[in-house]
Amino acid sequence: MSYANVIRKLKALGYASPESFNPIREKEFRNMVVWLEDQKIRIYKIEERAELRKLESPHWMNSFHQYCTDVGLPITLLTTPMEQIEWLLGHASRLDYADNVEKYQSQTADSVSNSQSSVPKVVSTNPLDNLLFDSPEFKKGVASLAEKLKIRTHPDQLVTLEACCKLIAARLNEDALAHPEFVIPKGKAFPFMDTDIGFNLGDPVLNKAAKILNLLYIQDLRSLQTKINEAIVAVQNVTANPKTDTKLGKVGF
Amino acid sequence: MVVRQYNEELKYLEKISAHCWRIKKGFQPNMNVEGVFYVNDHLEKLMLDELRNACRPGMVGGFLPGVKQIANVAALPGIVGKSVGLPDVHSGYGFAIGNMAAFDIGDPKSVVSPGGVGFDINCGVRLLRTNLWEKDVLPVQERLAQSMFDHIPVGVGSKGIIPMNARDLEEALEMGMDWSLREGYIWAEDKEHCEEYGRMLSADPSKVSMRAKKRGLPQLGTLGAGNHYAEIQIVDEIYDKWAAGKMGIEDVGQVCVMIHSGSRGFGHQVATDALVQMEKAMKRDNIETNDRQLACARISSQEGQDYLKSMAAAANFAWVNRSSMTFLCRQAFAKQFNTTPDDLDMHVIYDVSHNIAKTEEHIVDGKQKTLLVHRKGSTRAFPPHHPLIPVDYQLTGQPVLIGGTMGTCSYVLTGTEKGMQETFGSTCHGAGRALSRAKSRRNLDYQEVLNKLEAQGISIRVASPKLVMEEAPESYKNVTDVVDTCHAAGISNKAIKLRPIAVIKG
Repeated sequence: MSYANVIRKLKALGYASPESFNPIREKEFRNMVVWLEDQKIRIYKIEERAELRKLESPHWMNSFHQYCTDVGLPITLLTTPMEQIEWLLGHASRLDYADNVEKYQSQTADSVSNSQSSVPKVVSTNPLDNLLFDSPEFKKGVASLAEKLKIRTHPDQLVTLEACCKLIAARLNEDALAHPEFVIPKGKAFPFMDTDIGFNLGDPVLNKAAKILNLLYIQDLRSLQTKINEAIVAVQNVTANPKTDTKLGKVGF
Repeated sequence: MVVRQYNEELKYLEKISAHCWRIKKGFQPNMNVEGVFYVNDHLEKLMLDELRNACRPGMVGGFLPGVKQIANVAALPGIVGKSVGLPDVHSGYGFAIGNMAAFDIGDPKSVVSPGGVGFDINCGVRLLRTNLWEKDVLPVQERLAQSMFDHIPVGVGSKGIIPMNARDLEEALEMGMDWSLREGYIWAEDKEHCEEYGRMLSADPSKVSMRAKKRGLPQLGTLGAGNHYAEIQIVDEIYDKWAAGKMGIEDVGQVCVMIHSGSRGFGHQVATDALVQMEKAMKRDNIETNDRQLACARISSQEGQDYLKSMAAAANFAWVNRSSMTFLCRQAFAKQFNTTPDDLDMHVIYDVSHNIAKTEEHIVDGKQKTLLVHRKGSTRAFPPHHPLIPVDYQLTGQPVLIGGTMGTCSYVLTGTEKGMQETFGSTCHGAGRALSRAKSRRNLDYQEVLNKLEAQGISIRVASPKLVMEEAPESYKNVTDVVDTCHAAGISNKAIKLRPIAVIKG
């Protein structure tokens, strides 16, 4: 819940000056309740709104509580004016939407951003941006690339492409091709599947998946630790100056 | 102490499984929780004999038997779960050595006790691997031992060869291994493979007395005396080849270096200073304990906080100390083999602390709680997937380094889920004394001890040979018994066994 939300909803409902509204100020709060009922919610007949309109009346809070009960606002849960106004705004928005379903249904995120003139239009110069990622040619291309790299395909060709990309970046870059011994793990593989993972999810398939996730996590940790070590070594190059002086040494008897 | 006949005492002890005994409430007065201890048949006999001796009429003075000490700890305010005795448990100051106890930080009455940490704060073990094999070092074994001895000053009054002034010390106390890193004595990966990443952030050097700092300054980078040592070891047996592989141990015969040391006179002074403060705090806050040696203060009190901050500084001192010796070991090896430590792959496998109190999260009675876990002669042993262990050991569990006795063997274990549940992720720390130092001196001849080591093909360099018998294998429990008990009880798993070929000690 926030003030920004309130302003956004007020804008959507067509309130004249949403930025100046402050629910903490009692008068504005009361005005807003009346405005919402008059314009949007309309649960009472016009003549029934009389009590609510007596903005200066000492009994206004009583009529407001009655109104809350009638409109369904859980007043015991929402105790601050901000929360109450936000609920009423939400309720009003829903009613407004229900009255004009057809009009709003066509408003998808894309059409909104297209119609917004404030977003600058970027003309892409990257040829990859013009690729049709859903085209059969693209899918076929990714599949044959994956096959060459011996990578299992994923139903989503973009995921497969990402896997290919990772492998190429890690193993087929210039350094790696020149010195394969640095990137190809040596020694025998740890029998990871036979070790105890420390918990049991009750399903062998789930357990296997958890183990794989665990292994990926350990790999992440390892690369983080390696980066830390590299940082330490970089600093050591500046600060290190180990000294010994055998004259200081003394054996105790 | 409650004086009862031995048979009466036994009524309070109950064997609950093949390797575990329960100490019931009432064994000592005011026990808040029960005690528990882990033993096999052989260790069980030692444990009960100790109790029987203490029950003989006229036995006064000296330390209380280990079982009694475990029970007294169970009577401290704020303790949760159980007071746990590990298989290497033996009498110590207040707390038995090999005793772990956790206190609920959320409970305002909970205490911190310097006796539960020990005088050698953050005494611990570090293991370095190499890519050398036994056949590479055997021909130069004696020279290597001498080179190590020349690099690492040992003995009671020894002084280090890394120049340090008072300001360096202040910084080292605050920064721990980050100081060693900054100065270039160690590698970035060393920090990664160290409990707490080699630095307790709670350290506050201003809480440490001048006297402690004066004692500590010249001692950085020295091994010390007593049971501390640096050993060149050979991988003798691999029980868990995957865990060993993760630690960079490929096969039997690989050469490792083990460093067992602590915070020297610095930690001792910090503990001594704290005990004085705690006695005052106990009087003021009306804290009652069964044993005067269990001096303690509420965690939230000024004295408690001061101790924890100065203890953290001492812990940092110990890490810098072990790091300095790591640097010196690498130098010694590099010189001997005319190469660089990098080319010898001299990485730190792990570094454990076995005298320390730490804030940790544990599940107690189904609820997550923040506890102050005291481990005295007990090593943290966190299970696989625990967030506080290095990424390389996420699948194997935390490596636990168990230093054996001079001339016997050492072990690497890994932490388990069962240990996490039963012992707050703790296990044993070493062999554990069977004879007191004085008794060892009376009963054993040092020349005999040295001859025996020589016959085993172990090169030895000691500063004071006359103290060697205190550390003779005969003075200790059998480390294999201890480790096997931990393995059988499931509180940690055996991974690697190491045997020494060269020993450097004070």
